[in-house]
Amino acid sequence: MTKLKLVDVNYTYSEGTPFRKDALRNINIEIENNCITGLIGHTGCGKSTLVQLLNGLLSPTSGEVIFDGKNIAEKGYDLKTLRHKVGLVFQYPEYQLFEDTVYDDIAFGPKNMGLDKDEIDRRIREAALFVGLEERYLEASPFDLSGGQKRRAAIAGIMAMDPDVLILDEPAAGLDPIGREEILGGIYSYQRKRKNSVVIVSHSMEDMARYSDKLIVMNDGEIFMQGICREVFSEADKLMSVGLDVPQITKFMRSLKSKGVDVRTDIFTVDEAKAEILSKMGGCGNA
Amino acid sequence: MLKDITLGQYFPGKSFLHRIDPRTKVISALLYIAAVFLCQSIMSFIILLAVTLAMIAVSGVPVKIIVKGLKPLIFILAFTTIYNVFFYTGDTILFHWKFITIYLEGVVFAVIMGLRIICLLAGSSVLLTYTTSPIMLTDGIERLLSPLNKIKAPVHEFAMMMSIALRFIPTLVEETDKIMSAQKARGADFSSGGLIKRAKALIPVLIPLFISAFRRASDLAVAMECRCYRGGSGRTRMTKTHFGARDAVLFALTIILGVSIVIVNIYLPIWVI
Repeated sequence: MTKLKLVDVNYTYSEGTPFRKDALRNINIEIENNCITGLIGHTGCGKSTLVQLLNGLLSPTSGEVIFDGKNIAEKGYDLKTLRHKVGLVFQYPEYQLFEDTVYDDIAFGPKNMGLDKDEIDRRIREAALFVGLEERYLEASPFDLSGGQKRRAAIAGIMAMDPDVLILDEPAAGLDPIGREEILGGIYSYQRKRKNSVVIVSHSMEDMARYSDKLIVMNDGEIFMQGICREVFSEADKLMSVGLDVPQITKFMRSLKSKGVDVRTDIFTVDEAKAEILSKMGGCGNA
Repeated sequence: MLKDITLGQYFPGKSFLHRIDPRTKVISALLYIAAVFLCQSIMSFIILLAVTLAMIAVSGVPVKIIVKGLKPLIFILAFTTIYNVFFYTGDTILFHWKFITIYLEGVVFAVIMGLRIICLLAGSSVLLTYTTSPIMLTDGIERLLSPLNKIKAPVHEFAMMMSIALRFIPTLVEETDKIMSAQKARGADFSSGGLIKRAKALIPVLIPLFISAFRRASDLAVAMECRCYRGGSGRTRMTKTHFGARDAVLFALTIILGVSIVIVNIYLPIWVI
């Protein structure tokens, strides 16, 4: 089942000036339900432009954005409700905090949806739990928090709107490894519990290999590859040809194979690799 | 929306006007503005219009961009024109109905006033802001004002402040756009409701914007100190501008413009205002 899709979408910045730039060309993608989709590509390949099309903040130069079977560019389409259903967390969302307390800031989205007080309170606490924000921070000023905590608060602000599709633009950018793990892990468990659809924009193959079900690879404004992780990573040569990487463990399996060990190379998690190597060793290893 | 502000924005290019020393352009722009106000007869306006159009053609800035830059002036233009049409008195009555009388002189005057405002803005922005990068512009102003150093006026600091302010306008505009998008994604509504509701809706934009402006300012100060910035004394420049043949040509042309307008005013006084 798909909820959200782009059909033949093109997007051009500053049409008719010397700054004109084709940001997206011939984009056809489907965002599936109950699935984490990783959107991956180099800096400047159009990822951030694409996600803004998905909730109607930008409208395509040509092509259609379809949500729940309806074209969102149609006259009278309620973009405000769409934005409640398609939640978008921008890059560095911590710079958008503005309220006196973290609690109030997370409440901003749900309040704009017109929910009642009890429901808002329930959602705030639930969202804070998902992003790993301790209760004691809720009454603090968002400006007193550390960078990582601010990021969590900002993400919780969108999660509390309980969108059908949650899009996060580089949610882990600029965080230390533990912070990355905690935030991405929180998003992962949120999706698995909610069974809604999540889109994570990133340029880290490692992270995407761990947390996403499906991958969309972009290169220079176009969709370069898409499919489930295994399919995408099995074509490592193709990825590397445009300067993208594959996870380290996939590289390891590939070099193992080139050294003459007959192992599968469509592997992208350490656990899988371990199982594969052990089975090739005839089950005699005690790793 | 916010990105549509083009008045006073640099338009990169390599035209004759782009390559002229910023000092020459500042002085020429002042002369040009003086010439606009000296225009008193229809003939001198024709000269002014021709010169302005020629400048636009030479600069290579698309007319579309210039027209877009004039859009914010629509209200002032409309007001001046309409006011003059109705309240200017003359001898030739064009239209009379009850208490409304429109004179031919009034219509001419209104058109001339409108053209004067358009020429003033289009001409000076083509001469200066469209064809001079902000850095060149402040550099030019600093060097023009440098004699004031003798009376201990902080010319360098002033110019530095100006170039930093100019430098950060696009950044702040971009940032405002981004924060507005982000708050819209959280269901904020900036376009409906009464005045008070709309003003209130801007709080979620203004607070993050101010915070980031302060953060940027302090980051910039630290970065400048790290590179040993300590004011203007003893500072040299990476690019030195020189007066050349081009500058002489532009100077001569602006002076000819001014003089010919004065002469036309005196010897061809048709429709004098």
